[in-house]
Amino acid sequence: MAQKHGLYHERFEAVIGLEIHAQINSKSKLFSSSSASFNKPVSSNVSVIDAAFPGTIPKLNKKCVDLAVATAFALSGEVQRISSFDRKHYFYPDLPAGYQITQHYAPLSVGGQIRLSSLDGLDFEKVIRIKQLQLEQDTGKSIRDVRPGMTFVDLNRAGIGLMEIVTEPDIRSPIEAGLVVRKLQALMRALGSSDGNMEEGSLRCDVNVSVHEPDKTFGVRCEIKNLNSIKFLVSAIDAEIQRQIQDICRGVSIVQETRGYDVSSSRTYRLREKETAPDYRYMPESDLPQLILSEDYLRRVKDSLPELPDDTKKRLIKQYNLSLNDVSTLLGESGGIEYFEKVAAAGRNPQHVVNWITHELWGRLNSREIRFQDNPVSTEQLGSLIDCVIDNTISGRTGKDILNQMIDGDNRSAFEIVEASGLRQLSDPDELSKICMTIIKRFPQQVESIRSGNKNTFQWLVGQVMRETKGKANPALVHKTLSDLILK
Amino acid sequence: ISEKDSVQKLAEQSGKRIRDGRKRSPLDGIPIAIKDNFCTSELKTTCASTMLKDFQPPFNATVVELLINAGAIILGKTNMDEFGMGSETIHSHFGETRNPYNTQDLKNGARIAGGSSGGSAASVASGMCFAALGSDTGGSVRLPASYCGVVGFKPSYGRCSRWGLVAYANSLDTVGILARTVEDTRLLYNVLFTYDEKDTTSIPSEIFQQDSHVPICTDSLNNIRVGVPERISVFYCFNGVVKLTGKLLMVVINGYFNRSFDEPVSYFVSELDTTIVTLWKKAIDYLNHRGATIIPVSCPSTQYALPAYYILAPAEASSNLARYDGIRYGSRCDNVTETDETLYAATRDEGFGEEVKRRIILGTYTLTEGSYSDCFLQAQKVRQLIKKDFDAIFAKANPLNGLQHTDKAPDGVDVLITPVTISTAPKITEVTNVERRNAVEAYVNDVMTIPASLAGIPAISIPFGISPKDGYPIGLQLLAQYGDEQRLLHVASVLEEGSDINT
Repeated sequence: MAQKHGLYHERFEAVIGLEIHAQINSKSKLFSSSSASFNKPVSSNVSVIDAAFPGTIPKLNKKCVDLAVATAFALSGEVQRISSFDRKHYFYPDLPAGYQITQHYAPLSVGGQIRLSSLDGLDFEKVIRIKQLQLEQDTGKSIRDVRPGMTFVDLNRAGIGLMEIVTEPDIRSPIEAGLVVRKLQALMRALGSSDGNMEEGSLRCDVNVSVHEPDKTFGVRCEIKNLNSIKFLVSAIDAEIQRQIQDICRGVSIVQETRGYDVSSSRTYRLREKETAPDYRYMPESDLPQLILSEDYLRRVKDSLPELPDDTKKRLIKQYNLSLNDVSTLLGESGGIEYFEKVAAAGRNPQHVVNWITHELWGRLNSREIRFQDNPVSTEQLGSLIDCVIDNTISGRTGKDILNQMIDGDNRSAFEIVEASGLRQLSDPDELSKICMTIIKRFPQQVESIRSGNKNTFQWLVGQVMRETKGKANPALVHKTLSDLILK
Repeated sequence: ISEKDSVQKLAEQSGKRIRDGRKRSPLDGIPIAIKDNFCTSELKTTCASTMLKDFQPPFNATVVELLINAGAIILGKTNMDEFGMGSETIHSHFGETRNPYNTQDLKNGARIAGGSSGGSAASVASGMCFAALGSDTGGSVRLPASYCGVVGFKPSYGRCSRWGLVAYANSLDTVGILARTVEDTRLLYNVLFTYDEKDTTSIPSEIFQQDSHVPICTDSLNNIRVGVPERISVFYCFNGVVKLTGKLLMVVINGYFNRSFDEPVSYFVSELDTTIVTLWKKAIDYLNHRGATIIPVSCPSTQYALPAYYILAPAEASSNLARYDGIRYGSRCDNVTETDETLYAATRDEGFGEEVKRRIILGTYTLTEGSYSDCFLQAQKVRQLIKKDFDAIFAKANPLNGLQHTDKAPDGVDVLITPVTISTAPKITEVTNVERRNAVEAYVNDVMTIPASLAGIPAISIPFGISPKDGYPIGLQLLAQYGDEQRLLHVASVLEEGSDINT
């Protein structure tokens, strides 16, 4: 559990704000009907609108609005009945129109907050205020490292909807910042409004960092960009805070600039100077009328909000008697909760279910680099597997083998696999006795050794029985049977 | 120009349909020309610019599609001022378009056709086609119509779809029609005014209520009240307007063209031509004679319309033309070997003509942080005032304001009558003589047509008389409330009957 951060060097307080861009999880882009899906062949999801052809006009995608409004409500923001779109101008190869359509003058939602607590791993309560949430277009992708001197442009991403969420500079430590991002991810995944995946680019985070002595005015801030995981975000903020403190202590003033983070040296470095903020010549987007949301619509969206992460956590802890840690792990994976609840629904022991999912299943998927979204093991399959292990039909080890099979494509239930391949655990006491007797007769010296108190040899003998039964014997029962036979 | 064979084939198909009684519409088989800023997938769409000189769009503009579906035959694309910027049709990659009104002048002493839809006006006036599509942002359909002696109609903003109309200033661009008579204009209009969901600024038909009072078939104007702006010379307060516009624009323009700006700004006309005023009065009398009541009206904000337009339109233009970089379509500069930054500049320098560059720089300037409030926002406020002026004058309520009544306000008017241009078509030698004039003088030609553009209300230019000085046509403009096209066209057809010009 993270604690409240004290002053750095007993003198300085860090002041941190986040600017987050989350790709909206809609099928189509924000202003055109081309597909917003990820990882398709270069520039295959591009319409004449996305490529800014002459004579084209953007058309707002209602689904994007729905998801953004839901997100705003989940953040306790004030969704504006009237908001509008503006053009932000600059020239760049991945910006086909020479401007980005955004909401500069009248964003979709104003205010709101993220509340951190023990549910998030913070041992005190903290409120981070949200400044605003707005809709805007994503740009295409510029790829520079394919051929030197040339920039390749992939327009698949151009025009995908983004929610830009800006926090007030209320964050006071790198850990808090990481928790805020994690919380936002969980929130958006619960709503289905964004995948919130930093590694895949569906979530981008820029951070503003400054330091000051408490009760004095805020210091000059620097922006850190191009962070692609929460871990790096936290490290980068930490590195930047240290850098600024060092400079100030040496008498060097902080210059307002944009910096990146170099993982190998754990340092931030200058990307470009922010000497003058570029003039984007914001102008109202005349092709798009004002977005007017009726009271009815807003009420409908608010009423149909799904359970939010904090409530989910509280409920799961109470309902299934799970630890916060387990629940957080489940929440951390998109679709994790639903999967868990389906498997646990059939009256199975929730702790067993959690363990099988988070330790066994996810561990194996990770090592095979399969995303949980593409998980081939159905809830029925996993459920049947857990049942077989619990009622001793198979041993735990056999269970893990069967899980491997399922991941590799076997879509039968555990029962079917067990029956078909005769993997049934050997639990018949008489048969086990017979086998144990056989082993005891085979290794008289070791038996002697055991009788004189050698525990290791006992384990070895158990191992021999397991080998004899090709791993099918119920280990606990073997233990007991052997023990009875030898030591009685 | 469309391929001869395909045109012939289309004509034959149309003929067959008509003989079989399967005529698609009154436009079936009729040849129409299209201004070259409407996207056509079969023909190049150049906007008269070097930047798009070989560009062929992958889709048709909605209005083109509607014409094709109605059986009309697209003859070809007409010349224009580059990207719609100009009132002459001389700023074109392909050269100027000459006014065909007096064919004897064509070789010597030729006059301009006007712009920016000069090619469309000339093709109709010369009989090359039945009618033509144009686009009207600040008067680009009405002004060339007046110069060439044809009808130029600009419907309410949002009536016809802009999908496929290459944007110059998207809050002002309107699809317009050029034809020889009001009746011909109507034929095209009926095909074109439909809601298009691809155009987010297209207005759904429920917004436009039909006024049950409009007498469509009678040819009298007995219930019609025609407004005349009082104090004729002050209405378009000329010198004041030009000085104001001049001050704002000269700083940038002179800076760009490296000229000193303490030389006095000289104008080639300082007043509305008296022959036009005479004709205006004649038209007012004619309408009165046909039964209309003539009412003097006052539009106090209209004198600021011209400078407001020349702030707003170039600002939008600088934004709409930001996409032309030669990367995804259009011409790209070949000579560049360095980084992206130089490629864009070189491509755009080569691809755009002088007037376009001028307006882009002007527009960029007014959008910068320092000038945004003083220039752009102020101009928007003026625009609102102009709309309010018109709403106060017209009897019919503006449907966009949400009021839905068909009662006439007792002192409101139904239409306004004003001149279209300040002179007849100037000679080409006059307008291309760069030393004698500066860019701002040319902008002054739009002073009559701009108010209707800023307000988005429908307006039509009717050829009414010939100038005794030079024998060239003079048009008069009728304006009506937003959405009130039927009444406008009715009055226009009556006015047309009083015209001296045989078309």
